[in-house]
Amino acid sequence: MSTFTIPIVQPGAKAFPSRQVRLAATRVGVVALLLGAWQLAYAAGALPEVAPDVAGIVAALAAVVSSGVFWTALGQTLLGAFAGWALAAVVGIVLGVAIGASGFLSRSTAVLVEFGRAFPMLALMPVVVLVVGVNSRMVILMVFLSCLWPILIQSIAGSRRQDQAVVDTVRVFRIAPFRRFRKVTLPAALPLISTGLRISASMSILVAVGVGVLSQSPGLGRQITMAQEASRWDVAFAYIIFAGLVGWGLNSAIAALEKNALTWNRQEA
Amino acid sequence: MAILRRVLEKGWLIVLLVAVWWIASADSSNVFFPPLSTVVATLWRDLGNGLLIGYLGFSLGNLALGLLIALVVGIGLGLLIGEIRWLREAVTPFVDFARSVPQAAIVPLIVGTFGLGPGPKIYTIAFACVFPILLNTIDGVRGIEPTVRRFGRVYRITPWRYFRRVVLPGALPQIFAGIRVALPIGITVMVVSELYAANRGVGFYILNSSSTFQLAQTWAGAVLVGVIGYAIALLFFRIERVSLRWYFRSGAMAE
Repeated sequence: MSTFTIPIVQPGAKAFPSRQVRLAATRVGVVALLLGAWQLAYAAGALPEVAPDVAGIVAALAAVVSSGVFWTALGQTLLGAFAGWALAAVVGIVLGVAIGASGFLSRSTAVLVEFGRAFPMLALMPVVVLVVGVNSRMVILMVFLSCLWPILIQSIAGSRRQDQAVVDTVRVFRIAPFRRFRKVTLPAALPLISTGLRISASMSILVAVGVGVLSQSPGLGRQITMAQEASRWDVAFAYIIFAGLVGWGLNSAIAALEKNALTWNRQEA
Repeated sequence: MAILRRVLEKGWLIVLLVAVWWIASADSSNVFFPPLSTVVATLWRDLGNGLLIGYLGFSLGNLALGLLIALVVGIGLGLLIGEIRWLREAVTPFVDFARSVPQAAIVPLIVGTFGLGPGPKIYTIAFACVFPILLNTIDGVRGIEPTVRRFGRVYRITPWRYFRRVVLPGALPQIFAGIRVALPIGITVMVVSELYAANRGVGFYILNSSSTFQLAQTWAGAVLVGVIGYAIALLFFRIERVSLRWYFRSGAMAE
């Protein structure tokens, strides 16, 4: 640093390396505490017999991540989740924006949409399994049914959210419907729609795993159930940890994406 | 008249859809889609003979206890983590990770290992519900205006009063938002835990009937769960409105 620069203290990160080091140390401490508590409980016999010790979990993590089965299962789960989510996004946004464009339609569908959101879709799974069978189509259908509602609700709310002044301006200038949709409705609705997409994206993983647990459709969920049935808690733990990491990675990725894509909406963030 | 109009506007689509379902399925011989009249009759019969009422009691009891645990743990930890900065910074990544674990993923582990009783189901529900409550409580505590905090400090009110009078009310609207998110998750996990393994409960009713091809019962169970889910959401909305009357009245809500 030259003598002429005034050190600028930025709020938050990077200004105090020592603070960061301390933070990292605390977090490592938390991990050590958690693992230590687990190991202690294991040694004291407080955990169920099938529970692995820390070394067992670490070994299982390594074994699982280097097995082809894991990557196949992960791919199957992600594929089902993504296909169902994408389908829900298309249907939800199109329907939602159309419904939101009309006050009458949005009032008429309000109860139905609220009901759909409150409905635990996994309760329908036994029926869906009987009708569609245990296959990837069933997973996609279940994810679609679950993801549709948040996207629909957010899209309706988004396309209803319009400034009266803007509405009047559009009317006065007699802006053509399509142009109005592209230039006025969509930009106003996008932030809310993107929230719906984010909520449903994390939901899609949850549902895809849940469906696998219940129906034994190929994927992460099935591997967890199989590991439990084989009394291999260490393997089940490893799968659960990886499932969590996938969800966490997805959430972080979407959050980062949203931050970049919706820059014009920053003032509302 | 205005009220009538509003009711009509809100209700016609539901009535129409149920009517369409009723008529379209009226003489359905498809095993998978029994006539709606049969589904309703089945629902009525099993509610009347006490079977479903007992199952509902079991399921909703598990839900209530699971939620209670989630509330105590979530709000308690949330207030602490929100107030104490070093604690928050230390545990944030772990909380973020834990809430990303698919709730259904732990069902085989807990329910599969610890058996059919209510205990494992309650714990899974509690685990699933705790994260929205915890995260919202933390956000709520952090969202309290610094000026309000400083006032509390300046007047040197006791820590207990500070928590009860400043932190808790300040975070309450956000805590309620967390509970609102947790409710449908709890209901879903309640059903999933019973669909996985149970000998009682609404989920068991659904699973058992579908595996014996009593599809009218399966549909009846699914409809019942949907109605219950919706009713709980409505009920909670009322509770929220009443408990947070001061908050809504203050106009703090933009919309």
